[in-house]
Amino acid sequence: MSSLHRTGLFGKGMLGFGYAFLYLPILILIIFSFNSSRISTVWSGFSFKWYIALFKDDAMLNAAWVSLKVAFASATVSVILATLAAMVLTRFRPFRGRTLFGALITAPLVMPEVVTALSLLLMFTTVSGFFGTSSKGMLSIFLAHVTFTMAFVTVVLSSRLAELDKSLEEAAMDLGANRVKVFFVITLPIIMPALVSGWLLAFTLSLDDVVIASFVSGPSATTLPMKIFSTVRLGPNPKINALASLLVMLVAQAAVIGWYIMQRQEKRRLRDIQLALKEG
Amino acid sequence: MAANPEAVRPERSAADERYVFIDDVTKEFDGFVAVDDVSLSIRKGEIFALLGGSGCGKSTLLRCLAGFEKPTTGRILLDGQPMNDLPPYERPINMMFQSYALFPHMTVEQNVAFGLKQDGMPKPDIKRRVEEMLNLVQMVKFAGRKPHQLSGGQQQRVALARSLAKSPKLLLLDEPMGALDKKLRSQMQLELVNIVEKLGVTCVMVTHDQEEAMTMATRIALMDSGRIRQVGTPDEIYEQPTSRFAAEFIGSVNIIEGVIKDDEKDFVTIQSAALAHLIHIGHGISGFEGQRVNFALRPEKITVTKDEPADAHNKAQGVIEDIAYFGSHSVFHVRLPSGTRLMAHFANRKRWASENFTWTDKVWLSWGDNAGVVLPA
Repeated sequence: MSSLHRTGLFGKGMLGFGYAFLYLPILILIIFSFNSSRISTVWSGFSFKWYIALFKDDAMLNAAWVSLKVAFASATVSVILATLAAMVLTRFRPFRGRTLFGALITAPLVMPEVVTALSLLLMFTTVSGFFGTSSKGMLSIFLAHVTFTMAFVTVVLSSRLAELDKSLEEAAMDLGANRVKVFFVITLPIIMPALVSGWLLAFTLSLDDVVIASFVSGPSATTLPMKIFSTVRLGPNPKINALASLLVMLVAQAAVIGWYIMQRQEKRRLRDIQLALKEG
Repeated sequence: MAANPEAVRPERSAADERYVFIDDVTKEFDGFVAVDDVSLSIRKGEIFALLGGSGCGKSTLLRCLAGFEKPTTGRILLDGQPMNDLPPYERPINMMFQSYALFPHMTVEQNVAFGLKQDGMPKPDIKRRVEEMLNLVQMVKFAGRKPHQLSGGQQQRVALARSLAKSPKLLLLDEPMGALDKKLRSQMQLELVNIVEKLGVTCVMVTHDQEEAMTMATRIALMDSGRIRQVGTPDEIYEQPTSRFAAEFIGSVNIIEGVIKDDEKDFVTIQSAALAHLIHIGHGISGFEGQRVNFALRPEKITVTKDEPADAHNKAQGVIEDIAYFGSHSVFHVRLPSGTRLMAHFANRKRWASENFTWTDKVWLSWGDNAGVVLPA
């Protein structure tokens, strides 16, 4: 009994240590975002002043707005392209160069970001030289983000499509729906959860990318991560602490809501199965 | 339980005889021949089973009928219409999938209505037809449920209703009982046959389960490595197999190898190293003296006795080596002096084990003149 108890204590200790390792830095960040002192490391009283300062900082809000716009647009386009790519990879009869196609699509996953960023920059510069227009701005960030997030979304979607029972699509075709109809009426609705998570993944990736955005953007467009990075480089800034705390709160809320919805669905599913078995 | 074709269709025209006509169909995948030069005629209104082990080509043939695979060579005709160039969604053929393939995001009602909607049927008509189909399979009160809220048997009923809703000219069943447990299976077999017969729809099913094929089908095509080995009614295939493969695939059988000794017009005798006495066949066969043959004898055709039978042939003495008890009958594994083991059924008419034969008992096995089948070696 006593040895069990000790193991319990040890286990709890390890768990506490793990949590501390993961969440202590974030906790400190949140605490110091309410610090009234300008110096981040000294606590001198509770205050909302950095939050207020943050909402008065137009450059910061602008950057956040740019980031959201880019993330929204690039995630949407990336999901559309990735769906097409995943359909080609999983539903087309084997064709010449399919393996190569699959490898090329997912290459950005393993490519160092700097390489992706640099090559995109070179391409945009060449293209703008050709057309004689300035290419660097929100459009170039958007295009770059589509390119690199598409790889991730393709992986998510093709694994979902690969495990989808093909007889579902065959059954729909058997009942008189042509291929296009089958895709929109059967395939898409069934893989919708994967599409949503693919979109969220792309959105998140785009929202926190700093390397690629820094390479391909010009002076006309600054994303939030770029702004944060350039601000912090000049020394710790309590405003950034406030911003980061807001982001943490947002993410935590989304996670809790997601968990709650999933749990409720799972409970309902289990209840339905039990009901069916009882009547069956 | 098996469907009776004569009762369903008293008279048949030549076109009805060839309602589904599979003409020299071959299907190759990258050099692997899945279906090898198969020709079949399936009658209107019959339940036809493609029976065979895994990889015998039965599923590929079914998929060729449905339109998911295109035959490499050969033609498929349905009611005189060539099917080869029609995509699945333009064929008057519907299929019930092994996994049922119910659309998980639609209710039972929407699932059954799906095919009708594709045809552009007016909404009130769809509603009426769906209700009619759900009535047929007794699933009306589940109309609003999603597939995951149904048990396996209920899902199967919905899948059946969905595949029958468009009144297809041909219904395909892919391992229809594959996903059900044994008890539900025999009940659903009967029910499915009743429904299909009630509607008079022509039906081709694929199964690896010989019992299922025998129970449900009017005729069976036995397939092996892409070819048809034998086509016939269940009792034809069971009682008159034309090959050792057919005899062994369906039910259990004793195969005794031997040589034709006398080949007369009205009887034949076979000498076998396994038996001390001759095998006597009560009718002529197409063979010649000295030909090597296999004599196939079903266990239930053998009589087990304590005393030696009076006849000079069709008997063997041996020792009971193993007994498999099935309740209604037991299967004795009897070892002959030659070392050959024969299986014989013994009906358990008496309740007390002490009155029956037991291990190491010496028994006589005997069979009638027409009990077995002579097969080419």
